[in-house]
Amino acid sequence: MSIFSIGVSGLNAAQVALNTTSNNITNVYTDGYNRQTTLLGESGVGNGVQVEGVQRQFSQFVATQLNQATSNSSALDTYETQIAQIDNLLADSEAGLAPLLQSFFSSLQDLASAPSDPAARQGLIGTADTLTAQFRAFDGYLDDMQQSANGQIGDVVFQINNTAEQIAMLNREIGLAKAKAKTGEAPNSLLDQRDQLVAELSTMVDVELSIQDGGTYNISIGNGQSLVSGTRSFALEAMASSPDPSRTVVGYRDGAGNLREFGESTFTGGELGGLMTFRSETLDKTQNQLGQLAVSLAQGFNAQHAEGVDLNGDAGQDFFSIGAPTVYSNANNASGDVPFVASFSDDLSGLTASDYDVKFSATDGYSVTRRDTGETSTFAADATTLEFGGMVVTVNGTPADGDRFLVQPTRHAAGQLEKLIQDTALIAAGQAEGGTGSGDNRNALALQNLQDKALVGGVASLSQAYASMVGDVGNRTNVVQVNRQAQAGLTQQLRALQLSESGVNLDEEAANLIRFQQYYQASAKVIEVGATVLDTLLGLDA
Amino acid sequence: MRISTVTMFEQGLNSLVRQQGEYLKVGQQIASGKRVVNPSDDPQAASQAVGVAQSAAVNQQYADARISTRNALSQEESVLGSVADAIASAKTLLVQAGNGTLSDADRSSLASELNGIYEALLGQANATDGNGRYLFGGYQDKSPPFVKDALTGIVSYQGDAGVVAQQVDASRQMASGDNGLQIFQTVHGSASYLARADAANAGSVTFTGPSVTDSSDAGFGTSFALVFAVAADGTTTYSTDGGTTPVPYVDGQSISVNGLSLTLEGTPADGDSIAVSAADEADPDLFRTLRNMLDALDTPLQNDADRARLQNTLSTSSRELDNALDNVLTTRASVGARLNELDVLDTVGGNRALNYEQTLSDLVDLDYNAAISEYSLRQVGLQAAQKAFVDIHQLSLFKLL
Repeated sequence: MSIFSIGVSGLNAAQVALNTTSNNITNVYTDGYNRQTTLLGESGVGNGVQVEGVQRQFSQFVATQLNQATSNSSALDTYETQIAQIDNLLADSEAGLAPLLQSFFSSLQDLASAPSDPAARQGLIGTADTLTAQFRAFDGYLDDMQQSANGQIGDVVFQINNTAEQIAMLNREIGLAKAKAKTGEAPNSLLDQRDQLVAELSTMVDVELSIQDGGTYNISIGNGQSLVSGTRSFALEAMASSPDPSRTVVGYRDGAGNLREFGESTFTGGELGGLMTFRSETLDKTQNQLGQLAVSLAQGFNAQHAEGVDLNGDAGQDFFSIGAPTVYSNANNASGDVPFVASFSDDLSGLTASDYDVKFSATDGYSVTRRDTGETSTFAADATTLEFGGMVVTVNGTPADGDRFLVQPTRHAAGQLEKLIQDTALIAAGQAEGGTGSGDNRNALALQNLQDKALVGGVASLSQAYASMVGDVGNRTNVVQVNRQAQAGLTQQLRALQLSESGVNLDEEAANLIRFQQYYQASAKVIEVGATVLDTLLGLDA
Repeated sequence: MRISTVTMFEQGLNSLVRQQGEYLKVGQQIASGKRVVNPSDDPQAASQAVGVAQSAAVNQQYADARISTRNALSQEESVLGSVADAIASAKTLLVQAGNGTLSDADRSSLASELNGIYEALLGQANATDGNGRYLFGGYQDKSPPFVKDALTGIVSYQGDAGVVAQQVDASRQMASGDNGLQIFQTVHGSASYLARADAANAGSVTFTGPSVTDSSDAGFGTSFALVFAVAADGTTTYSTDGGTTPVPYVDGQSISVNGLSLTLEGTPADGDSIAVSAADEADPDLFRTLRNMLDALDTPLQNDADRARLQNTLSTSSRELDNALDNVLTTRASVGARLNELDVLDTVGGNRALNYEQTLSDLVDLDYNAAISEYSLRQVGLQAAQKAFVDIHQLSLFKLL
């Protein structure tokens, strides 16, 4: 082989190497770009150099680890963003529930001091209005968060479907590109894109990636449900949950085309996992606790108010109104009817901040499961009232065998708390026995003392229950923040590890530029020398 | 390890962002003066703070209740002072009226003076607080508790037996007043015995006493009536409650019944009687006492029976006024004791409020010394991170090409 072709092979190789270096330099900040190196090899025996290929520096192992970490990070980020809103809501020490509860009870003290003073009576009505409005506003805020979680789940599902579709498409394109290409040449930019999409998908949901022979990516989520299989992708759907239609969950179409629901705990990673966990772990509980507080206040106050007499000499009427527990019929039930009427029982000590699943079996009767503890109680199939969790559920219809129902005692209670009494004369500050004068303040004192009574679940006063809610949310926020920070550190480390393999270092590329420039110059020199040799040989320069 | 350019940039940036976040957090704490702004800053402290704030609010409610109780008791105190003065003046008039040399006209003028006291007392009994609520009607604070009948002039109590109490401390409900029954229609349980001559007595018998001679007597404490009988032969006897054997009556002699002794003078007529009972069983009523005195003073004295009636009324009334004064003074002392107790509770409550404030501050407030040094530290850290970021990014091989 001639010195010329050897020199030319060097020039070619140097050009490829310079191209690769330039490409690395220009893509230094491109997301998903993996550093490339030019692989050179000897061409035959003494035939110069040949370019074996341009290789992508990519470690699937590290990438998978990073994706897993990103998925967790993203879940915790989402969780923190959401819970921080509740944390901020509770941070307001001026207009939060606690100061309003306090001013409500101090207006009762004013009433006890001057029971016949219209100003004191009006004062109670005023603070009760403010208090109930704040309960409703608080609940409205949490309700908005439920709605927004529903909306975000829909958005994420949409994005997941898009991304899955693109990955499936890239699987096909990469296959085609590989088939067309010469041996050893990989469609690097397509591979980069696909890996980048998998990384993006990981921020939305936790995925399981398996790589088929031939390099096709198969992706599954949740309980192993396939999302991308070869060149096909399977769409997820945002759907109303069958136990609670007000709630958006994720479902998929099974082989027969039926919509199947993923359990809420299926997803733990990514934005989707963060939303689901936040909702079931914090949002529901906070809203239930708030509702429990509202029901306890309303029921406890009404009961004591009824013990008293108002200025007209009548027994105290209901001071607050509170709605009833919510009962949903499962979407899979034979009929959509709810064969129950639920109400709060007079003895509130059993009222919890948990939801209850009721299952009816024609043979075994009703089984009622408390969601947070899993505690189950049973009632006969012909029972007419089911009493559990501080509620009385009256059966007024006929459930079908296998029907399921969801009972939410306090979820929407705070939003329904209203003050009923407008007429100041109807405030029952006195008590019946021993005269009913306008100066009688005995019931006002008893009402005032409710602030120290264990009204909530029979164990905590209103203020204690609120404090434990604040503590709960604070703790959870704190834990999420700490976890997020830890996870962020881990993710950063893994990213640094991945970048140390796949990232571009400009100094290195600068050195390469010099190196390959010199290589090019040297190869050119080889040709020049070859020419000189030939000239000498032929005596052309004589 | 190879370091990619992106890693250098990201790590520098992450460090800047983290330092900035911490710097701002301390800045926010300094600006708000609070260490715990969000519950998540210190969940235990935030949760405890709710409890302490509630305790402080309740403590404040008790403090407010003490203010209104003190106000009510002070008003009562001053009214009771006037009532005591009025009773003392009535007593003075009563002593004057006992002077045998007074003419009907003199007594009549005493009566009009006494009537002034009577009306003044009625005014005091119907005293109101600043909001027009009656102080002494029990729970009935909207209408005057003591109402004078326009025709008979008899004053009757329209209030009830209720006593308004206030929650002045966690475990103390204090009566913020006393009702009219307690002040004007009650005597102390240990008040002395009362004798009252029947208004229809036709004779001239008068009594002195009764006084207690033997409290261990089997009949001690039991009310009784002395009924006189004058036989056809002129011998006068008396019997107690008509049941026992008649005892001959001797003018000026002291007699002893049920452990009480009573000196009787004058000549009783047949059927005259004198009732003797414990003061608290004699249906005490300050207004009736004064009314009786007024009626007696306004009645011209025409014979011995009239004179005896006046004297008997005055001596009964004298006892009753003493008893009423004792009762008012006792009540006043109890009001004073309650006012003292309020002072003690105020001190305790004030200390408690300070403690709560301190605890709340310890829980959520910022330690400025620590915060400011942390602030400086974070500032240095942030500046260092900025400097490092700039320096690292100035180093590039490309600059040398």
